[in-house]
Amino acid sequence: MKKFVRRGEPFVWATGMTLSIIITMTVLLLYVVIANGIGVFWPQKLVQLSLNDGRVVLGEITKEEKDGNNVSRLQLKIGNREINGLDFTWISEPDIRSRSYPADLYVIERQENGNFYGTLAEVHSPEITVAEGQGTLVSALGKARHNLQPLLMTKQQISRKIGALNLALEKVNQKLAGYRYQHMDEKDKRIITLVDAETKLKTQFATLVDGGKQNTEELAAYYAIFKTADGKESTVRLADMVRLYQPNRMGLFAKIRHYADKLVELFIADPRESNTEGGLFPAIFGTVMLVLLMSLLSFPLGVITGIYLREYAHPGVTVKIVRIAVNNLAGIPSIVYGIFGLGFFIYGIGGALDQFFFPERLPTPTFGTGGILWASLTLGLLTVPVVIVATEEALGSIPPSIREGSLALGATRFQTLTRLLLPMASPGIMTGFILAMARAAGEVAPLMITGVVKLAPSLPIDGQFPYFHLNRKFMHLGFHIYDIGFQSPNVEAAKPMVYVTTLLLILIVLSMCSVAIYLRNKMRARYAIADV
Amino acid sequence: MDNKFLQRVRRKDKIAKTFIQVCGIMVIVCVFAILALIVKVTLPLLSPSKITDAQKVALSAQVSGTPLAIGIDSYGEALHLIDQEGTITFLDARSGAVITQATIQGQGKSQIRQIEQYKNSFYNILWQDSSLSMIEVRYQPKFDTEGKRTIEPSFRTIKLWPALAEPERLAQSYVRLSADNRFSRIDLLTDNTLTINHEVTTTDFLDNQTTENFSVRIEETLPGKVSTLALDDSGLALYAGTDNGYVVRWDLADNDAVKKTDTFAATENSDPIASLGLVFGGQSLVVGSKSGTVQTWMQVRAEANNAIKKMQMIHVLEPHAAAVSTILSSRRSKTVYSISEAGIIHADHMTSENHLFTIPDAYQVFGISQKDNALIALDSKRFIHIWQIDNPHPEASLKTLFGKVWYEGYNKPEYVWQSSSQSDDAEPKLSLIPLIFGTMKGTLYAMLFSIPLAIFGAVYTSQFTSAKFRKSIKPIIEVMASVPSVVIGFLIALWLAPIVERSLFSLVVALFVVPLLFTLVMVCIQPFYRNRRFVNFLSGYEFLFMLPVLFIGGWLAVRLAPGLESLLFHGNFKLWLYQDMGMRYDQRNCIIIAFGLGICVIPIIFSITEDAISNIPPSLTAASLALGASRWQTVWRVILPSASPGIFAAMIIGFGRAVGETMVVLMATGNTPIMDWSIFNGMRTLSANIAVEIPEAPFGGTLYRVLFLCATVLFALTFVLNTGAEIIREHLRKKYGRY
Repeated sequence: MKKFVRRGEPFVWATGMTLSIIITMTVLLLYVVIANGIGVFWPQKLVQLSLNDGRVVLGEITKEEKDGNNVSRLQLKIGNREINGLDFTWISEPDIRSRSYPADLYVIERQENGNFYGTLAEVHSPEITVAEGQGTLVSALGKARHNLQPLLMTKQQISRKIGALNLALEKVNQKLAGYRYQHMDEKDKRIITLVDAETKLKTQFATLVDGGKQNTEELAAYYAIFKTADGKESTVRLADMVRLYQPNRMGLFAKIRHYADKLVELFIADPRESNTEGGLFPAIFGTVMLVLLMSLLSFPLGVITGIYLREYAHPGVTVKIVRIAVNNLAGIPSIVYGIFGLGFFIYGIGGALDQFFFPERLPTPTFGTGGILWASLTLGLLTVPVVIVATEEALGSIPPSIREGSLALGATRFQTLTRLLLPMASPGIMTGFILAMARAAGEVAPLMITGVVKLAPSLPIDGQFPYFHLNRKFMHLGFHIYDIGFQSPNVEAAKPMVYVTTLLLILIVLSMCSVAIYLRNKMRARYAIADV
Repeated sequence: MDNKFLQRVRRKDKIAKTFIQVCGIMVIVCVFAILALIVKVTLPLLSPSKITDAQKVALSAQVSGTPLAIGIDSYGEALHLIDQEGTITFLDARSGAVITQATIQGQGKSQIRQIEQYKNSFYNILWQDSSLSMIEVRYQPKFDTEGKRTIEPSFRTIKLWPALAEPERLAQSYVRLSADNRFSRIDLLTDNTLTINHEVTTTDFLDNQTTENFSVRIEETLPGKVSTLALDDSGLALYAGTDNGYVVRWDLADNDAVKKTDTFAATENSDPIASLGLVFGGQSLVVGSKSGTVQTWMQVRAEANNAIKKMQMIHVLEPHAAAVSTILSSRRSKTVYSISEAGIIHADHMTSENHLFTIPDAYQVFGISQKDNALIALDSKRFIHIWQIDNPHPEASLKTLFGKVWYEGYNKPEYVWQSSSQSDDAEPKLSLIPLIFGTMKGTLYAMLFSIPLAIFGAVYTSQFTSAKFRKSIKPIIEVMASVPSVVIGFLIALWLAPIVERSLFSLVVALFVVPLLFTLVMVCIQPFYRNRRFVNFLSGYEFLFMLPVLFIGGWLAVRLAPGLESLLFHGNFKLWLYQDMGMRYDQRNCIIIAFGLGICVIPIIFSITEDAISNIPPSLTAASLALGASRWQTVWRVILPSASPGIFAAMIIGFGRAVGETMVVLMATGNTPIMDWSIFNGMRTLSANIAVEIPEAPFGGTLYRVLFLCATVLFALTFVLNTGAEIIREHLRKKYGRY
């Protein structure tokens, strides 16, 4: 024993323990995200609980745990927010008399008020009204939903047209404001044409709004009445139904289809219900665009600085200071970058741009407020050190013999750089790019100051001239997590969506990092022998 | 090869070289630009308030009487002047030309006996015949079609009180109109008694107005002859200063009674009270004495009895050389303006006790604008002087930002961060100390957790494990490094925090059970160590065998916890903490933060430590092993000391990261700026503070600049840490470059 301790073996084991703690923590972290995120879209069975006090509760079981007195209890998502007020309820196991899984139960995802759980009682549409018989009801519902499609298409068209008109109006108004700002005469031809255009647009607008109202009325004629577990009736307009399904009747194949369907919705649809339902499209779009814009600043600056440090700089005080500067850039807290972005990009450059180019819109800022351009420039600065370090490492791993050979053959340094070193170092530099992009995709704090919002009305790119609207605010996956996890009024109902968003973000970031690590290891292996 | 081609190639080479060098230097520029910008935004906070002598105009001859009061609008364009004859004259501030002139309606034709100003726009005028007028002066900006601004001055008489039966018995009179329509009139009579009259107008739901009158007399013996009175803006508190240095305070909240709350000696050596005034907000009383001292007093809860509040001297302001004759207060901040009998004007910020400026020449009367941006005074040669006051950040000074400050409503000087409050007249409390404290607290707990794990983990990975595992452990650490902090923040706040709250005691038990179990395993495993094959088989795989020990230990802790908890703490550990230890348990606390920040910094410390250890020349290790040292002895005596500067650098870089981490602390602490070292509650860090407050901070305002100051402090902190670490690492690189 004495020798065992003297030789320090227990300490070796103890250090082993620390490593296993680190590994456990990492694995656990990933496991929690995956376990909670991956099953969100899988249709859960609907359970109907008869309680001892005579109540009947219907819902999805979301959690089972023991309370303070060691009695197990169930958390049930009961939906039907307009009736129950709350989405969730806790039920003690001993209170339950019986459980059943009726096959006729429907889950209805709605535009508002969350899910509805219940049985179908009546279907009303201008063509048919059915009030009895499950089979006929179901087919009538299907038919009515089918008949509704053209009306829904019209609704979409109208809203699209209204959007376009709004933009046109805004443009006319801006031009008018510009002319008036220059103190142009009200009787000037240009102003008169603009005013005419404005009135014309407004009449068009009114017609469209009327059409919209009519459309809404027509849509309202299609509705269904559902019964909750305790017999209350609730009317759901078919136009409000996003999706409806009977989970207790679904087979494996149907469930997979449902899952895939939801997954597609996640990627292409807009969020609903203050971001807790629906898709993530604007957030994904914002994140990708942010990262791409960020690259435009960060990549060239980073690569060139890396080249400078490794190939051009003579070792000395300057290089030392540059190295310290690079390390500091990497170490400055991201929130400080955000503050810098706010002070320099937004109020400094953005404010000046507004003064010069858009004085007629002041005091409403155009560029003098947070936007995707400023956010990406801020992130660009933040990720420069990642690229610098990767470039330096990549260039450093190329054996000096290659450089010397090239120079000896009469090539200039620039030629050596562009024809030999850069192509050879490209996988390493790519690694830097990917790592920088991964860092940018996950960074949230500076964005909160420089223009991210919880719900952006329009994307930074659209079909309206000039197509790129870099001054617009944007949505971001990371901020989405913060927003719905912490700012949402109904945190419990938002949790599934937070986990899904987290899973998506982690998948994006980790897959980028894995590619980067793979590339780097390959690069290292390639020159491992030549390096000696 | 032709010459032209060569020239072109060389030129390109040169251009590229210059360009690349410029870009390289850009990085230095970036760092300093960031620093310069945030410091530049911060600087105005600490610049002293500026006062610029804007105008001097001769008083128009149309003003015949002795001027008694003077005032100016917030744009500095129009001014008013009230003279002894009861005439109010509005003048153009730039030319001195009369805009309008009017006579204030008293009861009859009479001269002004006493005039008192409050809220910088109301005047109480006591006429010789003892009638009393309350007037309000207003400046309305008007915009014409061109958008040009003109100021339209006007005044209105709010109320006129008729003359008393015995006018010669009245010494002084003060009136106030409260927000709920109560006129309070205080009369000081020549026999040193006071009469208090309230006129309360109530409007019922049918819009019928009823007026009730209340009258109370104060006839008790006062400590001395009353020389001056002060009444707060809504007529709720009355202060009387006596000619032997005493101040008496009454509470006037009740209509039909007065309550004396305090009698205290406000000056030393019975120095008579020359004038009293109230600071904006009405909580602090400014006492000006005959000898020129200026002090502020406010009610503080007595130490013995929490329910009783007693007046206490809080701040001492710059003294005058002569008796203080009038005290005015800003309507925007806690700035106090005072003029002495010698005519010298002082401006002081009460809370920070900063003396803002002195206007040395002699003036008769002075006034300040509503927005506290212009000061006007009349000298004895009948010249009007106007100054522009530039004091955008009165609340911020080195003392309020970093020192203990005694704020209104507090029992003692404290470090407080409270940037906004519900009422307009409460001043922002902007001490950075609680934030710096919070930053340090969170970081230290996180370092306590992560440094041992990361460093020993790295030691194990680089020295003890087999090469095969080393290759697969590094990606795990890199995965950990790349998890976005918002994800970590979300998980520890919404997933881990409830778990830790529910099973806090299990965590405590695990701290004992796991090491115990470890010792047990060591004791059991020790006999097998004589077997060489066993040793070789295990070597490099120890951490895998530790995984089950960890899990079993954790499982045991969860199992044992309820029993132990009921045995030792009556079944409720948190209650015991609160009742017996006085520690409150918040769900979002430093244990959670330590985990969260730990996950953020462990990969950084781990990889830098690993690099440092791997850079040690293998010859050292080989020599040590060859001399018969065991693998642990080699690590402990040879490798760790050699790598210690690198490990130290890793620690300070990790520290720097933890200091600046925002999302984790933002999400997983309560963000309450308290100063308490307890591990069971939260804090607010500099970085989270910026994220929390910046949406509420208007551009260029005090809060905006203070948040930039937070950023500067963070920058400075990380700059020092990172530069230090880099210098250490540079040194190391040189040292081991030799081998």
